[in-house]
Amino acid sequence: MSDWALWLTLVFVLIAVLLSLWQRIGLEREIVISTARTAVQLFAIGYVLQFVFHTDHPALILLLILMMIGVASWNAARRGKDLPAVIWPVAVTLSATELFTMALLLGLRIIAPTPQYLVPLSGMIIGNSMIVCGLFLSHMKREVEASRGEIETLLCLGANIRQAIQDVLKRSVKSSLIPTFDTMKTLGLVQLPGTMTGMIIAGANPLEAVRYQILIMFTFSASAVVSAVLLSLLSYKRWFTDQKMLRG
Amino acid sequence: MGALLELEHIGKNAGGGPGSWLFRDVNAVVAEPSIIHILGLSGQGKSTLLRIIGLLTPPDEGTVRLQARAAAEWVPEKWRSLVSYVAQHPVMLPGSVEENLRAVSRIHQQPFEARYARALMERVGLGELAWEKDASLLSGGEKQRVALVRTLLLRPRILLLDEVTASLDIHSQRAVEELLTHVHREDGVTLLWVTHHLEQARRLGDRIWFMAEKSLLEDAPAAAFFHSPRTEMARRFLQDGSMKEGQLHHV
Repeated sequence: MSDWALWLTLVFVLIAVLLSLWQRIGLEREIVISTARTAVQLFAIGYVLQFVFHTDHPALILLLILMMIGVASWNAARRGKDLPAVIWPVAVTLSATELFTMALLLGLRIIAPTPQYLVPLSGMIIGNSMIVCGLFLSHMKREVEASRGEIETLLCLGANIRQAIQDVLKRSVKSSLIPTFDTMKTLGLVQLPGTMTGMIIAGANPLEAVRYQILIMFTFSASAVVSAVLLSLLSYKRWFTDQKMLRG
Repeated sequence: MGALLELEHIGKNAGGGPGSWLFRDVNAVVAEPSIIHILGLSGQGKSTLLRIIGLLTPPDEGTVRLQARAAAEWVPEKWRSLVSYVAQHPVMLPGSVEENLRAVSRIHQQPFEARYARALMERVGLGELAWEKDASLLSGGEKQRVALVRTLLLRPRILLLDEVTASLDIHSQRAVEELLTHVHREDGVTLLWVTHHLEQARRLGDRIWFMAEKSLLEDAPAAAFFHSPRTEMARRFLQDGSMKEGQLHHV
């Protein structure tokens, strides 16, 4: 893509700004800021990736993945901001999911251990797990509120906190996974996913692009389940005080 | 062996500010199994006090002791198995009546005491109720009684009763009262019973805790409290309450 063509894409942003002004939606500032952030962040990561790929040093790849986990943990943990230090179970969940998925991908020799595979796939896995973790925390918050009576009834009957919150955990894990599997069901029928689209635009054979997309989606399904289940196990105690009372 | 239950300087702050104490400096001792009715106008924190004793709500100050050990020294599950709270609006667990009755045996992995459960259900007037019925479809009064039986299967030492007869018709109310006095007499279960029925407290209570002016204003034997309350506040409360109950009785 030429520089000129890239500059021309700003036309789309301009249309959004003009529409916002015309209809007095008041989103101009948001649009300009998000446009600038998109451009700056993507170019920055572009240069970083170029440097990492060029250097091809394991420490740099690791550092990049750790940064991704850090940002993703902070972002997902915001969904559970009422809970004490929930960022730690989220960070452990994301790290374990990344480790487990990459170990399988590399161990089964599905991908080669090169930055070209490791970095983008890690980004996608961590990003998808971040969404699942955020959804899990949101669902938990709602479910705990709605099932407060049920949880306290079980506590009053001498249940431990795991027994008291077990059904709520199960429902929240299930709800947080539904979008991942719904997306998989409609893939190719409703939307052409990002990796595949990008590869086709960049000139790859569509069938080759499909193979990579399948790899990613299957990896997503496993990593999503691992993330939701692991976070449920690591975080449920945080809904209770030290004396095992339901917070609220 | 110390007292059964001790409340030491219990305080609960409703809003967090210095002026929003719901109650403070609540002190009381339950030395032996007894029936204690907790009386007071609405908003005095009677239910909150029960929830604090049941380890469902943390106090903002003070200590609750069971058998001379502070709550913090107990495994909470063990405490709640001995001191169990029954809510004013009981929640049925998902599933049938039987699944609700079996909850205690499921939680504690013990055999289900079917005969005891049946006997309790009969005592509260639910002998004819089909156990396979979906518990969510029960009437309010039926739910209350099933919840009570479910808790009694836990065989607690102290029952925290939050207006448990408020939603019952007079017939069921009497059945529940009889069951509760029976478990108190036969099994030595202590009843800490929040109620607005003065007549009930007068008839059944050994002691009265009267909550007013952001504290436990009076802790006295029931007969003494009803005959000659120490405070003007309690006197007025009894006068108003008796008048209201008299009018209801008349109607």
